[in-house]
Amino acid sequence: MTDLLFLAFAAVTIGAAILAIEARDLVYGAAALGIAFLGVAGLFFLLDAAYVGWFQIAVYIGAVVVLILFTVMLVGPKMGEAPLGLKRVSLLAAILVSLLLGMTGALANATAFPGKDSCGSGCDLYLLSTSLLKNYGVQLEFMSLVMAAAVIGALALSKTDRGP
Amino acid sequence: MLGPLQPLIDMVTSPLFLMIVLFPGLTSIAIIGALLGWLERKVTARVQLRIGPLYASPAGGILQMFADLIKLSFKELFVPENSDAFFFIMAPTTGLVIGAALVGLIPFAPGLQIANIEVGLPAFLAIITLSPSLVLLAGWSANSKFPFIGGLRALFQQTAYEIPLWLSALGVIMMAGTLNLAQIVAAQSTGWFIIPQALGAFIFLVTSVAEMERLPFDLPEAESEIMMGWQAEYPGVLFLAAQGPGFVKLYAFSALFTTIYLGGFLGPSLLPPLFWMLSKTLVVIILIMLLRSTFPRVRLDQLLRAGWTTLLTLAIVNIGITYLLVVGLPTF
Amino acid sequence: MVAQGIPEIGAYIGFLFVSTVALIIVLKLLITPRDPRPTPEKKKPFESGQIAVGPGRTRFIIQYYPYLLMFVVYDVIAMFLFAWGLNLRSLGEAGSLPVLVFIVVLLIPLGYALHLANHRENW
Repeated sequence: MTDLLFLAFAAVTIGAAILAIEARDLVYGAAALGIAFLGVAGLFFLLDAAYVGWFQIAVYIGAVVVLILFTVMLVGPKMGEAPLGLKRVSLLAAILVSLLLGMTGALANATAFPGKDSCGSGCDLYLLSTSLLKNYGVQLEFMSLVMAAAVIGALALSKTDRGP
Repeated sequence: MLGPLQPLIDMVTSPLFLMIVLFPGLTSIAIIGALLGWLERKVTARVQLRIGPLYASPAGGILQMFADLIKLSFKELFVPENSDAFFFIMAPTTGLVIGAALVGLIPFAPGLQIANIEVGLPAFLAIITLSPSLVLLAGWSANSKFPFIGGLRALFQQTAYEIPLWLSALGVIMMAGTLNLAQIVAAQSTGWFIIPQALGAFIFLVTSVAEMERLPFDLPEAESEIMMGWQAEYPGVLFLAAQGPGFVKLYAFSALFTTIYLGGFLGPSLLPPLFWMLSKTLVVIILIMLLRSTFPRVRLDQLLRAGWTTLLTLAIVNIGITYLLVVGLPTF
Repeated sequence: MVAQGIPEIGAYIGFLFVSTVALIIVLKLLITPRDPRPTPEKKKPFESGQIAVGPGRTRFIIQYYPYLLMFVVYDVIAMFLFAWGLNLRSLGEAGSLPVLVFIVVLLIPLGYALHLANHRENW
């Protein structure tokens, strides 16, 4: 049952991701990207990581896809049909990316990803919380710096010359 | 002797299936949504010294929304020219499903809950984030000016209320020490969270009214400025599907407010828990309806300014107060 | 192993979706009347009774775009703060220090953004 669900979610994710790239109308592409993120959230649910799954929905679909939708609507349909001509480059890129992913998968320790056996009762939310703040506190601070830099960069980019 | 039908009968009589179909699921949501439409018209009429719906009734026009439902079903269904038929039909339908899905996370009584998710509160808030993007898609699909403005307003309105909404819910999580809605109710057996979390409850109420797109924050549909906004082009049954989420979300958010601030189904045991849950929810619903007939609509820039400065600051102050309540004064 | 409560909410949402779509299709097929007298005006966009002018998707609200960009960044902080909040009692004061720094670091660009918003009237 879990395998079937995994195959279904993986198929939805990959199919929607392909549609997101290939859709003629970019608004459909953005909506398909949202479906792909839903598929990824389903994979998190299968891994018993419901917390990450729900925040995947809230952050990626609730904020990122919305930003992309807005930008696509702003740009309009006329400019959305250019990338179809680059078939050969995209094929090369696909081969390179799959090679890279395959190499990473081969290099990864087999025990690093426990596979279907999810972490079970040992890794509840409280353990996640403790390890996030006690073991990964420094990484959390770096993350906040990255986010602060992102905000300042966005403000600098969106600054227009109107007004004082 | 039932033979092959036995698994089917088992499924239909299982508690989960009954909850999904009857209560708190589909049927009860449809009936309560329609009754809320009537109640809203009655409450608004009473505030404005009118009578409100009167004739479609055994009593006080209570069947008014069912009459409207039948009337709208007999309207012609068409898609405006040059519009995007797929999103035009799918966006309000999915919005209605999302609104109704929220009710499945609420514990109405011990055991009377469709999905007891370990991280119920983030799940509720995550599902609701999908609705502004559907409003944007609905407004875009109609290829008309007022719907598109309404959709864009929904998008920017989301940026204003969503972060204060999450941060005000954080206060409850800090008090309860859990994300599960049933356990949050259980944590309130010693006292409702509305007393230590008064500021958080205020922010949550304001931001959830903004999320429901109700007055004073009904910018995306503002009927007196942009002609119902994103719903302007919807005909017949689809207009019903576009209007429905408003009432369903009103029900779901009031139930969530009751659950996390007003002790949920807890109450004196001489009446069943379900009674306490529904009566507290009704009080919250009427409070939100009174807001509608009391305050004028804000402008988009006022809402954005208030969300990013006042509400966000108050939410962070609330987190600080809650920290002092839970951990105590800092010693470093 | 699927997380607790997810199958139930999945079944519920699936049931809701199928029944809503089925209801709309049934109403469309059985009750809703066909177009008896098709007129070109009926399908025109609604512009308060005037004849519709120009394309429909042009009136853009662009001046609040920085808020949208900031929203994408700040939406993430709830994830870390919720993970801190639910375990606050056992983390105590020592465990909360990283979160304090986290919040302060993120408030600085927010203050800068609101300073820009207040001093430049365009957003």
